[in-house]
Amino acid sequence: MSALTEIYVDNVTRHLPEDARPDIAAEITATIDDMVDARLGEGTDPTPDRTAAIEREVLEELGDPAVLSREYSNSPQHFIGPNSYPLFVWALRWVLPLVGLLAVLTNVVTTIALSPEAQIGEIIGKTAGNTVIALLTAFAAITIIIGLGDRGMDGGAAEAMRKRQSGTWTVDDLDRRDSHGKQIRAEAGLGLVFIVAFAMAPFIPTSLFYVGHLNGGETFINPDLGFGWLLGYWGFLALLAAVEIVKFTTASARPIVVLIGGIADVAMAVFLTVALLTQPVLHPELTNTPNADVQQIITVIAVWAIVIWDQVSTWRTYRREHHS
Amino acid sequence: MDEDTDKALATHEQELRRGTVVFASLVACRRPQYGYSLLTTLTEAGVPTEANTLYPLLRRLEKQGLLTAVWNTEQARPRKYYTLTDSGAEVAAALHSHWLELDSSITQLWKDGTP
Repeated sequence: MSALTEIYVDNVTRHLPEDARPDIAAEITATIDDMVDARLGEGTDPTPDRTAAIEREVLEELGDPAVLSREYSNSPQHFIGPNSYPLFVWALRWVLPLVGLLAVLTNVVTTIALSPEAQIGEIIGKTAGNTVIALLTAFAAITIIIGLGDRGMDGGAAEAMRKRQSGTWTVDDLDRRDSHGKQIRAEAGLGLVFIVAFAMAPFIPTSLFYVGHLNGGETFINPDLGFGWLLGYWGFLALLAAVEIVKFTTASARPIVVLIGGIADVAMAVFLTVALLTQPVLHPELTNTPNADVQQIITVIAVWAIVIWDQVSTWRTYRREHHS
Repeated sequence: MDEDTDKALATHEQELRRGTVVFASLVACRRPQYGYSLLTTLTEAGVPTEANTLYPLLRRLEKQGLLTAVWNTEQARPRKYYTLTDSGAEVAAALHSHWLELDSSITQLWKDGTP
């Protein structure tokens, strides 16, 4: 065996299991010698140069030793293979939202608990930063665990997904849940979150938004606003919340529910318009500027913009459900 | 054929050949074969195979119990001879049946589709 062949064989076998190396090395060496002999032909006395040239030719035909080594090792050349990929996607789809939600809740609660005078910007900043880190960590952990499982168990990390593999799949495995219903339920849930936030608005102190210095940390709402206006405001919100709860529990947007929701929406916008245009609804010290009237009008425009957007969105949901 | 068609043909030929090489190796190893002799046997039979594909394949077939390997050190150059095992012979026979069925099916399909 020439030095060149020896180096080539060493390159092939160096990353293979130690117990298999001598056998593979002997076989490749014999093959290379056979191939060289076959090309040199019988009955001739080859020159060393010709032998060396043919040897090079044979080695180049065998190709990159790293590739040959990979063929021998027969180990997966990927981190997450096709068998584990469905499990990987499933884990990301379920674990990441859960981690994100937990990270947001934990950070909001701990920031408020540890900093009694926490500003909203501080809460958002800390929560966003820590949530991103939590999501990246979860992503890395899922990837590493499933990747190692894919290796250690020869693709067996997907054992749990076996029922999803062809051959064992039956029509009973079909996901029969109504995707429209899920979407309506998700939108209703989000709507409820916004309604609760709006309901709490009259109690939110300005200090939470870095403008506490303007009115000594009081609320955004005029403290002299008649309680009847607040009752009306909460009454409308309660009606809207009831509509969203019906949508959430039935997972559908029935015409009567959509109609009640639409009417309540517009009625509340009228109520807020009257309230904003007939008295100072916002705290006087926040609107104690020459442009106070303009601010009220901008607020009214914003209210109607939200209502119109909500009406269009509700109508689209209704049409989608009744055309599917 | 344009360049894209050539590429597509090369890909499909490779897919077709991949399974064929396994079957052809099992058939050829009904007689003891060492690596290089198998390589030339397959090439002469019209199933050209690259050495860097064949040797790892033989090892895998040996691990699967379809081939058995014995080193022959009586010759000037030690050689590893591969022979079909009983289970290898069963697999080869089954593959042969499938092959004939496929051949018949494809021939029929071709006839049916010919205008």
